[in-house]
Amino acid sequence: MKRVVITGMGWVTPMGQDIETVWRRLLAGESGIDFTTLFDAATFPTTISAEVKDFDFSAHVARSADHGGAGRNTQFALAACAQAWRSAGLGEAKLDLDRVGMYLAGGEGELDFDAYTNAALSAWSVESNSVDTVKWATVAMQRMSAVRELEQEPNMALSHLALLSGARGPAFNCLTACAASTQAIGEATQILRRGDADVMIGGGTHSMIHPFGVTGFNRLTALSTANGDPPRASRPFDAQRGGFVLGEGAGIVILETLDHAKARGATILAEVAGYGSTADAFRITDQHPEGEGAIGAMRAALADARLTSADIHYVNAHGTGTRENDGNETTAIKHVLGERAKECPVSSIKSMMGHLIAAAGAVELITCVLAIRDNMLPPTVNLQHADPECDLDYVPNKARAARVDTALSNSFGFGGQNDSIIVRRYLGE
Amino acid sequence: MSTMRRVVVTGIGVICPIGIGSAAFWENLVGGKIGVRRISAFDPSGFPSQIAGEVPAYKIGDYVPKSYRKATKVMARDIELAVVAADDAFKDAGLKSKAYTETPDFDGKRFGCNIGAGLISVDLNELTVALHSARNGDQLDLRKWGGEGMTQLTPLWLLKYLPNMLACHVTIIHQLKGPSNTITCADASSHLAIGEAFRTIQRGDADLAVCGGAESKVQPMGLMRQCLLNRVSTKHNETPESAVRPFDVDATGTAVGEGAGLFILEEFEHAKRRGAKIYAELAGFGATQDTYNVSQPSPTGDSYGRAISLALIDANLPPASVDLLVPCGLGIASHDRAELNGLTTVFGGGLSRIPLFPLKSRTGNLAAGSGVDAAAAVLSLHHNKIPAALNTGKIIGGLSLNNAAEARDAAINIAVSSVYSLGGQNAALVFRKPAKEAS
Repeated sequence: MKRVVITGMGWVTPMGQDIETVWRRLLAGESGIDFTTLFDAATFPTTISAEVKDFDFSAHVARSADHGGAGRNTQFALAACAQAWRSAGLGEAKLDLDRVGMYLAGGEGELDFDAYTNAALSAWSVESNSVDTVKWATVAMQRMSAVRELEQEPNMALSHLALLSGARGPAFNCLTACAASTQAIGEATQILRRGDADVMIGGGTHSMIHPFGVTGFNRLTALSTANGDPPRASRPFDAQRGGFVLGEGAGIVILETLDHAKARGATILAEVAGYGSTADAFRITDQHPEGEGAIGAMRAALADARLTSADIHYVNAHGTGTRENDGNETTAIKHVLGERAKECPVSSIKSMMGHLIAAAGAVELITCVLAIRDNMLPPTVNLQHADPECDLDYVPNKARAARVDTALSNSFGFGGQNDSIIVRRYLGE
Repeated sequence: MSTMRRVVVTGIGVICPIGIGSAAFWENLVGGKIGVRRISAFDPSGFPSQIAGEVPAYKIGDYVPKSYRKATKVMARDIELAVVAADDAFKDAGLKSKAYTETPDFDGKRFGCNIGAGLISVDLNELTVALHSARNGDQLDLRKWGGEGMTQLTPLWLLKYLPNMLACHVTIIHQLKGPSNTITCADASSHLAIGEAFRTIQRGDADLAVCGGAESKVQPMGLMRQCLLNRVSTKHNETPESAVRPFDVDATGTAVGEGAGLFILEEFEHAKRRGAKIYAELAGFGATQDTYNVSQPSPTGDSYGRAISLALIDANLPPASVDLLVPCGLGIASHDRAELNGLTTVFGGGLSRIPLFPLKSRTGNLAAGSGVDAAAAVLSLHHNKIPAALNTGKIIGGLSLNNAAEARDAAINIAVSSVYSLGGQNAALVFRKPAKEAS
């Protein structure tokens, strides 16, 4: 089985749009959460979010005209991929593009909101209490555009990445809710290990900060409604946590077989050591209360990496800030790490960046690689009130220097999707 | 690699326009049935294309355990289709899951689930009745919506439409706790999901998997998108049965469809131990990406052809060994031409000798539910019979294809099912008759 390493990284996040700026801000405990400006959310239960600010697509992607119709999440993915591609030095590399694949967790694109609501409302028949589809079709044909509709398909970010990179190898998009990009990077690793590609572009991209996205999460009562003080709203593991804060963005990594990376003299940032994936098979709305699936995923990742819990120096938690997740995840981590659980630092960058949904796992994996590089742990901010359910070392409020050779990142999705991935310092052969 | 675990198909689950259940599907396939008709789910007369491959009426409650009936309220149609096909697949495989017994005959932790899905459209009536309460003329008043309006929607509204809910409901109903994933690559979703499940079992991370995909585009938004993209035929509203004409000179576009096709894949020794019926060995998988355009396949079809070549190499089989090809065959002239170019790069002059069965004339385009295409390939191999390639008469480009207007008997040892997506993802699966020692 081939070893797999990370040789490039890029991200577009609510805290910045390049690796070093965001990392610096994470270590400083800053926040990317503010009042929502992408639409008028004034009367919504939640009026705050973590938006990507001042995004200039053409500043990231030289041939931006090639991607004319690209939606917001696709543009994020392209920008993050351009960074990752550059940082991996692939621009100068001689690549067999048939051996370059992609595994993305691209979310669905945003609805063409005005056209959609206008068509629906003008075709609503009060008498029949239903949409008059004949009238709807007429309005929709006029108001909707082929490109905007196509770009909502969840595979479109992937398809645009192919145009950007020229990658012609195996290409997948997966969408397992909040677990998706950890899963994408894990599965990309499996493709490389098996020898089906030399290089894989892996990661995720998502933007759900739009009226129906926020509606969906508000109806589920999953979002924080602590609108008064946005930077304080996301409170993973804190006793006063009240839900997650919706974010948006993309994280992309360049994964490569060790052989290929060495042959071209690439700088190796970290090695992907192990990956595990399970299903709770419990409920569509709730996680398994004893964290059964989460425990299974972490254990599978450890077994895959041939490591024991004693080898884990840092856990980047899923840590959403919902009452349910943080307690269950704590239980699960304690199960897996046993006696060591209280000594092993665990933190959630969602406290600062919000929850990037399908892109969350990718930006959190990148965070793990940076933690290993600099031996620095990003904090969990807003941790002020102890919750007896959450009694681990969450690196509260201040970044901390610590030896980090091996880090585990968790991602759990609605519907009981659990994925864990382990990265470690590359120390040669 | 000689130590590689082998993977076989031991169950087939289908719900599609020509049958609910893989047995009915096969019977109607051989019987020459076409499921493309005028749409009955809603009044389509305002749409340029008014036809679809619509699934016959069913009651979702009949396909889930009694205790799970309440949960069917939060299932979009795409989810229902996956749940029905999964029920069919488990029964066909003779696997007693938690849906049927308190004491399942397999280890749920070793059972994976890879179900491909599409962009699930929100139910227009359900949403619009809520929007109506917050309207300002023909526009939505966001202030009203954010306050009272949205509360008209059921709290679980979002969960009806998340693509991973297909797999989530199936894993809950059947208590499958192994690796689970949701591939969303449009028309290639099913094949990619099956390919990924194949690898998961090969490398030992699971012994079984339910895999494939499901989608419905038979709703206003799904149909509208295909109309706007000029992919669907507008010339056959009065003659729906002859609308979808794969590779035919008179092709005028495809038809939207709906359905689900799922396999039970199983590690070979595991299947033998429990005396399972083995339909076929899944012998090879290949996947590639086109880099031509996000909405059109490359006219050369080269990346599509490369997926098939990779799958054959993976199966360690030469192109000439293929006894049956179930191609994508959308019935969109420019696409079909590109596909034939791609097939020619793989099979060369031999293409005219390989029996070809394009399914879509019967069902329309099932998109992420194109696991049904793969099911057609496996059932043909199993029954040694090739269904009729209806509506494919005079072939574009003056090519001669080995298609027939009547079902025919044929010894099929190797069958290939290949697809490409709107977006350029290509995938191919190679199935082989189980070796004598296998049965």
